[in-house]
Amino acid sequence: MILVDNIHKRYKTNHGPGKWVLQGVSFVIPPNVSVGLVGRNGAGKSTLLRLIGGTDQPTKGHVERRCRVSWPMGFGGGLQGSLTGRQNAKFVCRIHGHEDDIEDRLAYIQDFAEIGDAFDEPIKTYSSGMKSRLQFGLSLAFDFDVYISDEVTATGDAAFKNKAATAFKNLADHASLIMVSHGESTLKEFCSSGIFLDNGKAHWFDDIDDALKAYKESRSK
Amino acid sequence: MAEAMIKYDYAHPRTSLAITLSVWNALFLREAVSRLSVGRIAWLWLLAEPIIQIGIMLFIFTVIRMRIVGGISTEAWLIIGMITFLMFKRPSGQVQNALSANRALFAYRQVKPIDTLLVRAWLEGFITVLIAIIFGIGGTFFGVELIPHDPLMVVTVFFGMWLMGLGYGLVTSVAVELIPKMGTFLGFFGAFLHISSGVVLPVSTVPEPYRGWLLLNPLLHGTEAARVGISPYYHAIPGMDIGYLYKCAIVAIFFGLALHRRFETKLITL
Repeated sequence: MILVDNIHKRYKTNHGPGKWVLQGVSFVIPPNVSVGLVGRNGAGKSTLLRLIGGTDQPTKGHVERRCRVSWPMGFGGGLQGSLTGRQNAKFVCRIHGHEDDIEDRLAYIQDFAEIGDAFDEPIKTYSSGMKSRLQFGLSLAFDFDVYISDEVTATGDAAFKNKAATAFKNLADHASLIMVSHGESTLKEFCSSGIFLDNGKAHWFDDIDDALKAYKESRSK
Repeated sequence: MAEAMIKYDYAHPRTSLAITLSVWNALFLREAVSRLSVGRIAWLWLLAEPIIQIGIMLFIFTVIRMRIVGGISTEAWLIIGMITFLMFKRPSGQVQNALSANRALFAYRQVKPIDTLLVRAWLEGFITVLIAIIFGIGGTFFGVELIPHDPLMVVTVFFGMWLMGLGYGLVTSVAVELIPKMGTFLGFFGAFLHISSGVVLPVSTVPEPYRGWLLLNPLLHGTEAARVGISPYYHAIPGMDIGYLYKCAIVAIFFGLALHRRFETKLITL
């Protein structure tokens, strides 16, 4: 379960405090419910994911994680370009306290990512699709209750998307996903509920279809 | 299907200390790899940089025909001063830039900004001690007297310089993130510290009252004390006090830690 209690967020700019990105966002994500975030570009979707993942702190309000939550995957975050995929994977295993079974985890990640010899090449030589594969494999190597994905499936090819979806369905009995995507079919495939972000406010919908409908209506206005 | 994965033990989550220790371990190994193995001769540059610096200064001193400084040979005087100063300079520089270099890692909430700084200081101290040992052995091989007459004093000085580097880096790492153009200013300030620390300029030749002013620089106390620790014949400047170096270092470390506590969220967000 994740409790988001009245969070406000604004970033510092070169001209003092910026505009409010999120203004009084509250909701509760129950256990085992996968949620899709929809909203225009700049509506604060990635910001909200970062706050839920604990990567960033809200200006006001607080987030409570009553379960194991992954880091937000997406856009190469958390990978260091000069190091190889294997070295980055080792680092992530170690900070999650898996020094003992690091070989098993590495084998799992390498197997899931299917990037071949590139696993031992520096990340900066990777394509965006290869990065996505590595990131998704990395997070699936750990036993999280909630996985946070920021468009991580967007750059993968069809084969990878299928693989990710299958891997995810296998986890569905004890894990869930919070994801941002502009692909309607992706959202419908992975998520049951939805959050529509608009003007710094969040609207919760028990059904992802209703969230998508609300988003479409706001666009046509 | 549940048997596919090792179940997480909810009754016994990792303690904060266990998380921090595993983060330090992971960061240390990661930093060591990127410091020493990225690029084919990364490790060679670690040695080449001080060798070139010392070589240039030695050339200048030879041209102006200065054979002895404060009772010891110019070579010994330069090498001891330069290496002792490195014990401050390397950790402080690495710590100062730790935040921008590790920004990608703050995606993992287990990694706090302060972790990257402490680990870098530790690794850099370790590397610099290795460099110092190599210089000590290499210099002795070429007939420069670098075997410490008072090893404990040398160790005390090196540790004090390292602490000072950590403290300085802790403070400046926050400053460069929060104040625009601070990096440029600190570049100039670093050059000033280098000159006023008695590394290339024999401070004993500076007349009073200016010499007294230079004694405000804690690093000067370190470089002079290291020379005394190596050679009993060295005439250190009057007023030298290792305790002053340690006092400054401890004040800087606590001030730096307080800054990090105060600006923790800002440093991640930027």
